[in-house]
Amino acid sequence: MKCENYKEQLTHWLNNQLTGIDRVAFETHLSQCPECRQELSGSREVWELMGKIPAPEPSDKMRVRFDAMLDTYKAAVEEKEGLLKNVTGGLRQGWFFRPVFQWTYTVVLVLIGLGFGYLFTKGRPSSGDTKEIAALSQQVQEMKQMMLLSLLENPSAAERIRAVGYTSEIRTVSKQVAEALLTTLNNDPNVNVRLLTLEALANLARDPHVREGLVQSITRQESPLVQSAMADVMVKLQEKRSIAPFRELLQQKDLNDLIRSKIEQSITQII
Amino acid sequence: MLKVKAGDLDRMGLLYERHHRALYGFLFYMTGQRESSEDMVQNVFYRMLKYRHTFSGEGEFRTWMYHLARNVLKDQVKKTKKTGHQVEISEWEERIGGGTPADKEFHRRQEMKALQHAMSQLNAESREVLVLSRYQELKYGEIARILDISEGAVKLRVHRAIGQLKSIYFKHENQEASR
Repeated sequence: MKCENYKEQLTHWLNNQLTGIDRVAFETHLSQCPECRQELSGSREVWELMGKIPAPEPSDKMRVRFDAMLDTYKAAVEEKEGLLKNVTGGLRQGWFFRPVFQWTYTVVLVLIGLGFGYLFTKGRPSSGDTKEIAALSQQVQEMKQMMLLSLLENPSAAERIRAVGYTSEIRTVSKQVAEALLTTLNNDPNVNVRLLTLEALANLARDPHVREGLVQSITRQESPLVQSAMADVMVKLQEKRSIAPFRELLQQKDLNDLIRSKIEQSITQII
Repeated sequence: MLKVKAGDLDRMGLLYERHHRALYGFLFYMTGQRESSEDMVQNVFYRMLKYRHTFSGEGEFRTWMYHLARNVLKDQVKKTKKTGHQVEISEWEERIGGGTPADKEFHRRQEMKALQHAMSQLNAESREVLVLSRYQELKYGEIARILDISEGAVKLRVHRAIGQLKSIYFKHENQEASR
């Protein structure tokens, strides 16, 4: 090892922090190297002098101050723990969960909800929206009427039945639709379609035009089923004008006996 | 300390009894001020109580104590940056002076005075390692843990510090001798 390295160890030797082999090696080197010994004497002087600087004694009042500080701190900690205990104790006793409080919470929450709801609806321009919705539903109604009209001309009976079914979904039936339904009632080749159309028209009977159409349709019906249904509808509507056409029906010789008796019964009920 | 951490605050008294002297010594050698060193000891023990939950139990209590002490010291230095150094020297000299000593005794006092002057001239980093190793008699390994540096770095710092101290001291002494 170089002398330079030993010089560094010198400090640590003084410091008594060299161990085992390092220590022996250093001491051997020291005995052979005057330069290092020279170096050491200077360091040692300083080092030993440092040790002579008196270690200061802390004053007595320090202990007193410490005890005071510790006591204050302990008191503060206990107070804190006491407070914590109070809160947890309160929780345990259910102070916060008594029915009265629960009700209060509920009421408060509901009020808050209402308040928010009010604010939200208030903040919205509602008139424009309703107008828009009205326009939209108007469009939907028109589309349904269109569908109805086109479906009534469909060759499939099932499609025509669907079309008749739409009448219940249309709020205000236009004259055109009523006309189409009456035409179906009079001319449709399928009995079922005619029966359902009759039913649908019966619901629209507030319209005088429809009423008249129905009355006029009586004599045109040849199917006993439709005739019977017609009789029922007229009794329900109490339509006096239907008596004449019914009497006309009774004149027909090929009229079903059952229907004949039913119509006679109906006439008496209408009168 | 673990017992203190668990809530047995009375144990703190015992810790104080064991360590306050060393702690006071460290702070005094570092600052040279008696009053404020006492304040700082108080401060360190207060922090021990306040931050007792941060003491992990790994590593020695002493290391942790010096950690806290160094922080307190840093705060103190910040507070009295301007006046600190002046008071320092005067108080050190006051401690050595006084009385009417015999010649030999006088000479020794002179030497010590010169050394203390030299010590106060050192920068805090160098003074710190010297105080910790010379006065607190800590092993390099422990100093390394306190300062959060490697043991090799501690060795280097101690060596350099001694070198600096020597050169300041002997320069001063030569000046005295040539007068």
